[in-house]
Amino acid sequence: MIGALLYLRLTSLKNLVLSRVRRLRQPKYLVGALVGAVYFYFVVFQRAVHAGRLPAAGTRHPAVLPADLLPTLVTLGALVLLVIATLSWILPDGRAGLTFTEAEIAFLFPAPVRRRTLIYYKLVNSQFAILFTAALITLLTGSWSFLGGSALYHLLGWWLILATLNLHFMGASFVITRLMDNGITPWRRRLIILGLIVLVAGVMLAWLGRDLRAPTAPGTDLATFQSTSAYLRALAGRVNAVLASGPLPWLLLPAKLVLGPFFAPNGPAFLSALGPALLVFAAHLLWVVRFEVSFEDASIAKSEKRAARVAAVREGNWRAARGALKARPGPFRLASTGRPELAFLWKNLLSTFPVFRPRTLAIGAVLIIAGYRWVARDPDYRDFLPAFTVVAFITAGYTLFLGPQLARQDLRSDLGNSDILKTYPLHGWQVVLGEMLTPIAILSGVLWLALLTLLLAFHPQSLTWLTAPVRFTLAAGLVPVLPLVCALQLLVPNAAALLFPAWVQTMRNRSERGIEVVGQRIIFLAGQLLVVALALLPAALGAGLLIFATQWLIGPVAAIAFASVAVLVILAAEVGCGLWWLGQRFEAFDLSAELRP
Amino acid sequence: MIEVSGLSKRYGDFTAVRDLSFTVGPGEVLGLVGPNGAGKTTSLRCLAGIIPATAGTCRIAGHDITADPVAAKRALAFFPDEPRLFDYLTVRQHLAFVARIYGVGDHEALAEPLLVELEIADKADQLPGELSRGMKQKLAIACGLLHSPQVMFFDEPLTGLDPLGIRRMKDSILKRAHAGAAIVLSSHLLHLLEEVCSHVLILKKGEKIADGTLADVSARFSKGEANVSLEEIFLRATGDSET
Ligand SMILES: Nc1ncnc2c1ncn2[C@@H]1O[C@H](COP(=O)(O)OP(=O)(O)O)[C@@H](O)[C@H]1O
Ligand SMILES: [Mg+2]
Repeated sequence: MIGALLYLRLTSLKNLVLSRVRRLRQPKYLVGALVGAVYFYFVVFQRAVHAGRLPAAGTRHPAVLPADLLPTLVTLGALVLLVIATLSWILPDGRAGLTFTEAEIAFLFPAPVRRRTLIYYKLVNSQFAILFTAALITLLTGSWSFLGGSALYHLLGWWLILATLNLHFMGASFVITRLMDNGITPWRRRLIILGLIVLVAGVMLAWLGRDLRAPTAPGTDLATFQSTSAYLRALAGRVNAVLASGPLPWLLLPAKLVLGPFFAPNGPAFLSALGPALLVFAAHLLWVVRFEVSFEDASIAKSEKRAARVAAVREGNWRAARGALKARPGPFRLASTGRPELAFLWKNLLSTFPVFRPRTLAIGAVLIIAGYRWVARDPDYRDFLPAFTVVAFITAGYTLFLGPQLARQDLRSDLGNSDILKTYPLHGWQVVLGEMLTPIAILSGVLWLALLTLLLAFHPQSLTWLTAPVRFTLAAGLVPVLPLVCALQLLVPNAAALLFPAWVQTMRNRSERGIEVVGQRIIFLAGQLLVVALALLPAALGAGLLIFATQWLIGPVAAIAFASVAVLVILAAEVGCGLWWLGQRFEAFDLSAELRP
Repeated sequence: MIEVSGLSKRYGDFTAVRDLSFTVGPGEVLGLVGPNGAGKTTSLRCLAGIIPATAGTCRIAGHDITADPVAAKRALAFFPDEPRLFDYLTVRQHLAFVARIYGVGDHEALAEPLLVELEIADKADQLPGELSRGMKQKLAIACGLLHSPQVMFFDEPLTGLDPLGIRRMKDSILKRAHAGAAIVLSSHLLHLLEEVCSHVLILKKGEKIADGTLADVSARFSKGEANVSLEEIFLRATGDSET
């Protein structure tokens, strides 16, 4: 039977890989994969390789961990593991449920398979994921060369740690289920465990008190040490003393054994550490396999919840994905006649956090003005004004450049409903505009608040031309320009959603992350920045020329106002063209064709 | 009301619908039947202007769906096989949204009787996630009916409903037909349609193999035998190609 299950697993894996590889035949995925590969090469491998090569280059001595600090590190690591393991006894409040997919449940649960076989299947199954995670962590921590040992030891070490933890979680959940079957409620269990922890801590403190009263090494004042390594050594000594007293070493022993292979500095040490670690692993395995509880019901419930969540995430509906979907009143009163695009704003605002409402903008503005006046009135506080401007500049920058990737209450989240949207008596551009209004409104709101802050607080002495009238004109000009800039930026991810829906879909689907997805993200961000730079260029040039040419005649204020109008016209024309083109794409869009494998 | 001529839809080399022509007048209900994959959904999506047809024309209430899509869409409603709803809008908010899209003034006065007729008035403040499948379908229908369309397309409206739900759905459809709407509905189960449809059109592999009134089609495929069931007719018409 386990053979059949393994066959299922391996075939699924093979098909997943095959379908991914087949997908690369489409140029869009191939390009994504290439960019992703280059990115990974530079960010991950390069660093790992670099870190490994440093000693040979001899330019800088890698900090190698002094051998006598190793035990402390192991002990601290063991302490972390112990805490994690303890949490696995405290946190869960339901019955044990192994995560099976709905298909696995449909095929395996009614099949004549013993429960134990299912557990084996699940365990073997999870090793794929664990090994992958271990490999990733090993790569990312490649620069921890101070630990010594080779990448292979680290990989196997991580695998042992993660796999044993995984078993521990499973075993704990089984025991918890058994306790619940015996009528011990989660809260009673937590109380008991907390009581145990308090008991252990009390015993330890008693031990410590006795030990500390005994004469210890001099030099308790750490500041007097000459070098950092001496300092570290002394610190380690004290930590060791604390952790070595009382019952703690015994509690930490299994965790330490599991960590052994990871911290092994060389081959022989690794081999001798491997035995005890495997022993702990085997003990866990025995525990989990022997300790039979019925996990089927909880597994089914869990997989249903997960499937619902995955479906929600696929549709880009994060509110549903978090399971916090609650009926809410509309963000504003929607009259039944008027421009239909506003209906989309109304609808999509409902899909996001309720702070994004018109009144928030008003409250924010009042708070900023009040805060400014309070700070500006008192000469003692005036020095804080630059901090205001720095915060405002940073907020504006992030909102401008990353905001469009974060605020996605537009076509990106509504593509699943495109069939219905397309039966509405609207032109394509109207749907696209309507869908984009929500992120435009949210980002513009944040930008306007930042602008208000800057208008109030940003008047450096060095910029003499920035007089109050000039500032006001600039701000007034920017108020209508900012939403257009946001719209320009948002055109790019929305175009991407329409042109490459499968990309956007895969990016949402967490279980389908891959190297091409990373590449795609980078391409999108770069594309967005490029498009915006290109689109802003004519407007900026035009504005610059106008101001330069006219300010001698009509003064800077009028020149800026004049230029703002020009910028507004240029940007509006650009956004209009983009919307029209995207509307055409929307009208030609066929969801059924795009989501086929 | 619905005039289709020479409608074809190709996906690459694959022809999903080939040279389909028919008309549906006011008060008529056309049943589009055929085995799975026959091209029913594809045809309906072309007719409703969701996807462009590769060839052929379709006029909805006198407006060409390609040349004047907005006017044509104003007159139609399309109900997909899976109700497509917005997860974070309540039943009432769905109606408010749709009313604004179609510019239905005073929609509350229209919505209330609709909700009552469809028996979801007591669920008016719930989200789709809290509704059963049948309820979701009713909500989708309420949204589609709010602007009183003259032309309606239902894709597999009876699939997944319980017997009572099927009964109610049929009644709703018949009521709109009596009120003068032109209706096309698709199904792969011919016998479910006999009480609703005035006409049937049998599709197989994207091609029309028979159409006409129910009586005509029965007569053609019963070959003179009496009392041939619609199911039998369906099987004879489509051959044993159910895959
Ligand atoms: N986007 C698409 N791309 C390619 N083939 C498609 C697409 N959509 C549907 N098809 C194919 O067209 C045929 C008709 O599909 P459909 O209209 O859904 O059939 P029905 O609704 O009658 O079951 C099927 O063979 C289907 O695989
Ligand atoms: Mg279909």
